[in-house]
Amino acid sequence: MATLEKREARAGYAFILPAYTLYLAFLLLPLIAALGLSFVQMDRLNWEIDFVGFENFYWIFTDPRFWTTFRNTFLFISMAVIGNVGMGLIIALMLDTKIPKYLLYFLRLAYFLPVLVSLAFVSFIWKFLYSTDLGIINYYLRGLGFENVPWLTSSSMAMISVVIVDVWKNMGFFIIIFLAALQGVPKNLLEAAAIDDASTWAILTRIKLPFIAPVILFCVTYATIGGLQVFDSIKIMTDGGPGDATRSVVMYMVSEAFGIGDLGTGAASALTLLIAITAVIAIQMFLSRRVGAGGAR
Amino acid sequence: MGPQILPANATLTQRLASAFRAIHWRNTVTMTILIIGALLMLAPFMWTFSTSLRPPAEGFRLPPSFLPTEFETLRDGPIPFLPMYWNSFLVAAITTIGVVLTSSMAAFAFSRLRFPASNLLFYLLLLGLMVPPALVLIPLFFVMAQLGLMDTIWSLVLPGLANPLAVFMMREFMKSQPREYEESAFVDGASYWTIFWRISLPQMGPPIAALSIIVFTTSWNNFLLPLVFIRSFESMTLPVGILSLFGSYGPQQLSVILAAVSLAVLPLLVVFLVAQRFIVESIAGTGVKK
Repeated sequence: MATLEKREARAGYAFILPAYTLYLAFLLLPLIAALGLSFVQMDRLNWEIDFVGFENFYWIFTDPRFWTTFRNTFLFISMAVIGNVGMGLIIALMLDTKIPKYLLYFLRLAYFLPVLVSLAFVSFIWKFLYSTDLGIINYYLRGLGFENVPWLTSSSMAMISVVIVDVWKNMGFFIIIFLAALQGVPKNLLEAAAIDDASTWAILTRIKLPFIAPVILFCVTYATIGGLQVFDSIKIMTDGGPGDATRSVVMYMVSEAFGIGDLGTGAASALTLLIAITAVIAIQMFLSRRVGAGGAR
Repeated sequence: MGPQILPANATLTQRLASAFRAIHWRNTVTMTILIIGALLMLAPFMWTFSTSLRPPAEGFRLPPSFLPTEFETLRDGPIPFLPMYWNSFLVAAITTIGVVLTSSMAAFAFSRLRFPASNLLFYLLLLGLMVPPALVLIPLFFVMAQLGLMDTIWSLVLPGLANPLAVFMMREFMKSQPREYEESAFVDGASYWTIFWRISLPQMGPPIAALSIIVFTTSWNNFLLPLVFIRSFESMTLPVGILSLFGSYGPQQLSVILAAVSLAVLPLLVVFLVAQRFIVESIAGTGVKK
């Protein structure tokens, strides 16, 4: 029946052809091209290519602005991960109690709504909310007797303000994942604990948290990878300012490649992102083996 | 005491009474905190909508207008807001249809057909899940320039069509479906295309709905790609369009910009209210495999 097998193989290739062609043309080959671009210097006017070895990397690694953007990005990630995963977990635990169905529907809607709406759109809204003199947040703070807070205009506050928006925007995603994980905690364990009169704290630390540990690890990884690519919100709210206080790695990349027009160094800085992401995934895989077969996943 | 199961024809009073009984007063503190938190989460949206609907400064007008003047300003202003809205819709719709069709075809091949190197090809595809969009931006810039697609909506559609996550999602779902119908159709001599189109695809209603929503909103919300690829108002989509609105109206005409944001958010709100269950389940599934 060789012809039948051949027919099936032909059909197989035919069915993956459209998706695969698109994948190769607009994702995989550009990825390889990005690797190549980071080793060349290119003139955008006459498309001349010069192989320069590691010069682009040398350039960005000796550029203090690059390190500033990397430091900013890591500061952003550390705060955003704690905010997103920590708050998300706390709220998910609170939602995982006996709550009337209609209230739960409303709460889920409220906490999840920002996830669905574009970061670009909500960043415009928050830019107005944060405005120092005309902003609604400062208006209420003044009403409570506080001074005006320079949310986006002081270099010490701007990063915190950007993180607040990120947590507001993305927390709902983690709440949903944690809620699903908590629903997977075996009911018989919880019932046995209730019969033994275990405290709420003991149930939390001895049963629930160990059981969802792999999911927490997944969420930390996911939030870290997302944080490495932060761009939209900062671009709209502060445009990297004041000074370079909130400038992220992707902003550095975009301004190198499309602002200054140096595609080689742009590609090199983008590549450091891929290396950072690969490292995060490797760490996650290593840790998830140690967290072990706790339950889900 | 578990939740009570009400008959389908329960009256509103019965439902309210049941909801009231279901309140465990020990949880009241938790619920109060959650409700305050939820109102804080919603506050920016409520402020946006109310500001964009704020009555025009000149008070009553004759003849009366039912749409606030902000919307007229948007329609007739120097920046073509309505064409941008149409562009956003066009890009998101073409991307969604394309991704759903190509990814379910590939998923059909990867889950139902045997062919050499299929596993290798699948893992190569999964590699794409790791690539941050910002990384391929620079090479894509060349591709679009070479194809002469710069500053057209196709420079936004084509990269959106390369979606390995969609293939992965659809394959996972198809693998969990029974294959008896497909096998018996094959025995009856149906072609692979007929089997895919008439038998496999119609079974995939819920995952196709979930995938469509995810792809549509991702495309609708895309900011980085149009920021780099689009220059002219004729091809601009909403996120970058509002950025240029911001440039031309500034904070003095706050309500005009917020009206634009409200209109941009509206389709997402509708989609969410209609399909909350699908969205929540598909997201819950990414972190927790059952």
